[in-house]
Amino acid sequence: MTLPVCFSLNVNDAVESVEASPETPLLYILRNDLSLNGPKYGCGLGECGACAILVDGRAVRSCTVPLGAIGTRRITTLEGLGTPEYLHPVQEAFIDEAAAQCGYCLNGMIIATAALLNRNANPDEDAIREALRHHLCRCGTHMEILAAARRAVAYAKAERTYRSTPDGVSPKAAKEVSP
Amino acid sequence: MTDHRQTPKSAYMSSGDMLLIVNDALLGDAAELYIAVGLDSRVTAFNGHVDLGTGIRTSLAQIVAEELNVPFEHVDMVLGTTSVAPNQGATIASETIQITALPLRQAAATARQHLLAMAAEKVGVPLDRLRLEDGIIRADGGENWQLSFGDIVAGSHVRLSIDSHAALKPASDYTLVGSSRPRVDIPDKATGRWTYVHDVRVPGMLHGRVVLPPYAGFDHGDHVGKSLISIDDASVAHISGIVSVVAIGDFVGVVATREEIAIEAAKSLKVVWRAPPEWPDLNMPEKALRANPSTPRKLADRGNVDMALAGSTQPMNRTYVWPYQMHGSIGPSCAVADYNEDGLTVWSGTQNPFPMRRDLALLLDMPEEMIRVERMEAAGCYGRNCADDVTADAALLSRAVKAPVRVQLTREQEHAWEPKGAAQIMDVRGGLDLEGGPSAYDFETRYPSNLAPTLPLILTGKVPPVSDVVQMGDRTAIPPYAYGNLRVTVHDMPPIARASWFRGVSAMPNTFAHECYVDELAAAAGVDPVEYRLRYLHDPRAVDLVNALTERAKWVPHTTWGTLGGEGDLFYGRGFAYAVYVHGPFPGKAAAWAAWVADVAVNKKTGEIAVTKVTCAQDSGMMINPDGVRHQIHGNIIQSTSRVLKEKVEFSSTAVQSKEWGGYPLITFPEVPAIDVLMVPRQDEPPLGVGESASVPSASAIANAVYDATGIRFRELPLTPELVLAALNGKMDEPPAAPPAKKRNWWSIGLSAVGAVAALSGIVTMASPWRPAIGTIQRPNADVYSTATIERGRLAAAAGACNVCHVGNDGTPFAGGRRFDTPFGAVYATNISPDAQSGIGAWSYPAFERAMRAGVSRDGHHLYPAHPYTSFAGADDADLQALYAYMMTQAPVDEKAPETKLKFPYSIRAMMAGWNALFLKAEPFQYVETRNATWNRGAYLVETLGHCSACHTDRNLLGAEKSGSARLSGGFADGWEAPALNAFAKGPVGWTADAFYDYLRTGHARDHGSAVGPMAHVVEAMQPLPDSDIRAMASYLASLNEGKEPADPSAQSEAAIAASDEAKVSAALISPKGERIFNGACATCHTGNTILSSLALNSNLHAVTPDNLLQAILNGVEAPAILAQTTGREAPEVMSMPAFRETLNESQIKDLADYLRARFAPDKPAWTETTKAMERVTAASY
Ligand code: FES
Ligand code: FES
Repeated sequence: MTLPVCFSLNVNDAVESVEASPETPLLYILRNDLSLNGPKYGCGLGECGACAILVDGRAVRSCTVPLGAIGTRRITTLEGLGTPEYLHPVQEAFIDEAAAQCGYCLNGMIIATAALLNRNANPDEDAIREALRHHLCRCGTHMEILAAARRAVAYAKAERTYRSTPDGVSPKAAKEVSP
Repeated sequence: MTDHRQTPKSAYMSSGDMLLIVNDALLGDAAELYIAVGLDSRVTAFNGHVDLGTGIRTSLAQIVAEELNVPFEHVDMVLGTTSVAPNQGATIASETIQITALPLRQAAATARQHLLAMAAEKVGVPLDRLRLEDGIIRADGGENWQLSFGDIVAGSHVRLSIDSHAALKPASDYTLVGSSRPRVDIPDKATGRWTYVHDVRVPGMLHGRVVLPPYAGFDHGDHVGKSLISIDDASVAHISGIVSVVAIGDFVGVVATREEIAIEAAKSLKVVWRAPPEWPDLNMPEKALRANPSTPRKLADRGNVDMALAGSTQPMNRTYVWPYQMHGSIGPSCAVADYNEDGLTVWSGTQNPFPMRRDLALLLDMPEEMIRVERMEAAGCYGRNCADDVTADAALLSRAVKAPVRVQLTREQEHAWEPKGAAQIMDVRGGLDLEGGPSAYDFETRYPSNLAPTLPLILTGKVPPVSDVVQMGDRTAIPPYAYGNLRVTVHDMPPIARASWFRGVSAMPNTFAHECYVDELAAAAGVDPVEYRLRYLHDPRAVDLVNALTERAKWVPHTTWGTLGGEGDLFYGRGFAYAVYVHGPFPGKAAAWAAWVADVAVNKKTGEIAVTKVTCAQDSGMMINPDGVRHQIHGNIIQSTSRVLKEKVEFSSTAVQSKEWGGYPLITFPEVPAIDVLMVPRQDEPPLGVGESASVPSASAIANAVYDATGIRFRELPLTPELVLAALNGKMDEPPAAPPAKKRNWWSIGLSAVGAVAALSGIVTMASPWRPAIGTIQRPNADVYSTATIERGRLAAAAGACNVCHVGNDGTPFAGGRRFDTPFGAVYATNISPDAQSGIGAWSYPAFERAMRAGVSRDGHHLYPAHPYTSFAGADDADLQALYAYMMTQAPVDEKAPETKLKFPYSIRAMMAGWNALFLKAEPFQYVETRNATWNRGAYLVETLGHCSACHTDRNLLGAEKSGSARLSGGFADGWEAPALNAFAKGPVGWTADAFYDYLRTGHARDHGSAVGPMAHVVEAMQPLPDSDIRAMASYLASLNEGKEPADPSAQSEAAIAASDEAKVSAALISPKGERIFNGACATCHTGNTILSSLALNSNLHAVTPDNLLQAILNGVEAPAILAQTTGREAPEVMSMPAFRETLNESQIKDLADYLRARFAPDKPAWTETTKAMERVTAASY
């Protein structure tokens, strides 16, 4: 591990300075230096998806991203997606479907769904299952998660008729829309 | 709860305005708390059981709110925390609602009774005129007053014992219980606001990791706690930020200021252990379990079993085998401990706060009262995982450093050490009688015990590592059918691998046997399997359930398999199974009843089983929260389907080998079946546990469905494609062995020392070995060189990538010291910084030039050709002079690199003179008139300064680059294969000038993959070169396969990708385990719409040897974005490939390599020397 270096990161629309070795997995920086609880440690091997974050709107596994690789790219964590007051449509859909048992995998599921919607506004069932294929859930919450992802597609669509926001915070809209 | 601590009981006990309901008010402050009502009218309810991710927090709050007639939102649940919650034992066996909720409900009723009585007294209205609604008390006459709970409790502290006579609300009045309340925790969990135990941060917290002994997953035997030989503290001395290395017996841990430092320290710490003992083969557990000493315990014996067996007209004796399985929490266990003079506080995800506190007291020699367990939610565990172990780890480390310590187990540690769900063997002897009824049912079950002690207790030697026998094999051991002649025996036995209860405990395997066997009886009797069961099923609720399910699933009675037919490669089948899960000590208590109809499709080509639909009926008694119950049923169905189809722990003779999700795969989204749940309404019956029941029929329903599809009975799990295929084929054919392809590389040829010496000594006589030394000089002053010269030198150094080899081990430029393993021994790169003593600061230009061109050091000794002077020999004078100038202006490093000491005879450097006579052609680069200037510039860079041939050309016996067609046709460097750069390149897509340019400039070419290993550093080192130079090199390199240029690279790449898609099935047949590892560990990045190029295009998979692939798997690959950054270019991929060196074992990597080759290079022969290559690669230092 090489010596610590100062980095400034663009996390959830704020600029954050951290000092750590460039090899440090971003996951630990987000959790320990920035006190973010969204991304979770599940395997450290890129296998489970618990640590997923958005980097420039694309889902990546922060356990395999070295701090030094991130540069000025925009990082969004579960916290930055939306807040309890201003939920992102995907978060809202997951809450409405109660798509969690223990909820440990939830971060990855929501991030993966948000990323899917960023690249495909109208995914079908196969596309949803494929996008979540490498996200593991041991509780067997798959049914509820799939339902939530379908609902998220509808919420996001309804929201787009109000305004278009790429992956940012949005007003609590489209609550009445059922998928 | 900002400091993650619950308000302790003492605070409630001393509060002035408070109503408390306790177990026994006579116990004073020692009484156990159930309900607290405060001034704010909020109700806090306490339960000793914890929420394991099942939503029990919400259900319990519903029960309390219902009984107290308060809004659901006014109730806060506190679960498990020892400083305040009642001790109700471990949260097991789905009994929270069934058992521990009862006193809570009674406590709520007591509170209601008291509050109403107080209100009556206060306002002088008779009790029967008072109404309590939504937490507000009013009179029914419409008087103008109302009282909140806060109004009543104000000004007094009242403490009441639970009144077992307090009237409970009749179920018919329920409005909240029985309705689906949204889970209270999900909004916070979905926005990252929830605090799991993993998220606990306390001031001054340090980070710990444990280093566990090599007997991974085994916790008994004399060696336990006594295997540590030594710890080499020096091995981590170079890491700054380590606070402590702690060792007690076999417990070893490190504490550091930051998490990544703790990880690094745990990885680097050199620990020597005694060799672990060998265990019987648990991959095929039947033999080991039968050999394990056991005590038979008879649970039932009715009729005359022996006589009935003797009289069977069709005897049927069957054995069913259940493998070791994992709980597999998605979050590896984690805990925080704070040990100080006031005592110990732990934040823990334990399932058993109170029993664990006892263990901690024992471990730390402190009274239980000084220990406080703050129970936090963790990842779902479905039984006991490593949560208690890691809490004890944290406690030990915190005590050692006197500061709060957070310990996170790694994925590998959780996989290897979590106490497993035990293997189990079930034997059934029986058969049909004359009428086709069951003649007898003689059932024996073998279940190794599951009482794994908390790991640090035995690692530290606090408790002896002996294996206790518990009676847990008896769950649901009694079959549900009225067999007239019945004998049931359980063989209680000590554990083999470390084990604990796992969802469905022994009931799931026992039911696998019961329900498959009855299916076999029905088939043998020629009766529809459901009808056959109903003949012997007399429990009316069970019969109702079975009828409701068969109606819902549109069950079509049938008396033989195969009635559903199939299409294409698929056979369809349908299976039924039923169970009431009986848990707790024998004879046990029944939880919910459950039955399954499973639909499957079996692929006869691949052996894959798809569970396409599960229809499940469950009778749960009263459902507190029907949606919660439905979610539990879904969860059980999906998890148990995964267990049945995929899951089995792999062992070596000494340790668990499944250490990540490729080796222990779980069901994925595309495989999840459609699910239809039928919940039988029984709101008038007592509630039953729902946490496990729906898992219990799974294995038998699926196995019965596979029988219905194929006519084959599987009595062993998991139902992997290879198992199914083998049965379908009678015997699986050996995978086609491809002819071995041989390419000799320069060290795998058993270099005969004698021959080599002979050859060399022959040469020695021909060439004069001695060269004079060249005198030293004062290091030239930097300002004698023009900026332009220094800049030219910088570019020459970049083209030569000097720093790739000569970089110091700590990253200091040009400091030397890197070790290169050659067949002749280890060669160390020298210090080439301008330090007069350690480097080349005292060298004159002639000395430098001689070293560069002729391989002779300033003092006259010969350099080994690891230094590519044969290439540099052709460089321009001006370039070498500029390079000299540049080197002399660099920072001197006063540190000697280790000296190269080869073994005799190679140690005779003078022999190199003879070598040079043979192989060194000191000609300057020749401009080729027929080519343009770009080409010539490229050729110059590639052939001289760039010395590409040093790695990319095979070497002969004497370590010299071969000539002729071997030139740039591929070689080996530093444990990596350096692929051919010419027409012999093995990748499916030919190299174009553009591809070469992308690769050299950014480290990545779309159709070829990324530069890794030493080449990544070369790309980085070449960063200062202008684009024009890179273009020039690309144009020259592309010309090497002139005439054979790819006609259309994109057509080639499409063809390669199509071929790899087509090879999917055959590759899985060749290496089924490899396919699973690929899917679990690799496919997330290496398939579909990711921005990495497909592995089908990756040169390493098409190479003659697997060396580069193995390098990548073992050591990982740096994120392309990092390389791109240093080259000033954009590459989108920020993820690195992790190293799997510690995670996958040799045979797993070999399986994976076999699969990857067959899948992504289907036109190439299989690799035959993977094991040898692995040795080479692990030996190489890079
Ligand atoms: S923790 Fe990053 S993928 Fe599992
Ligand atoms: S909800 Fe527990 S792992 Fe998915």
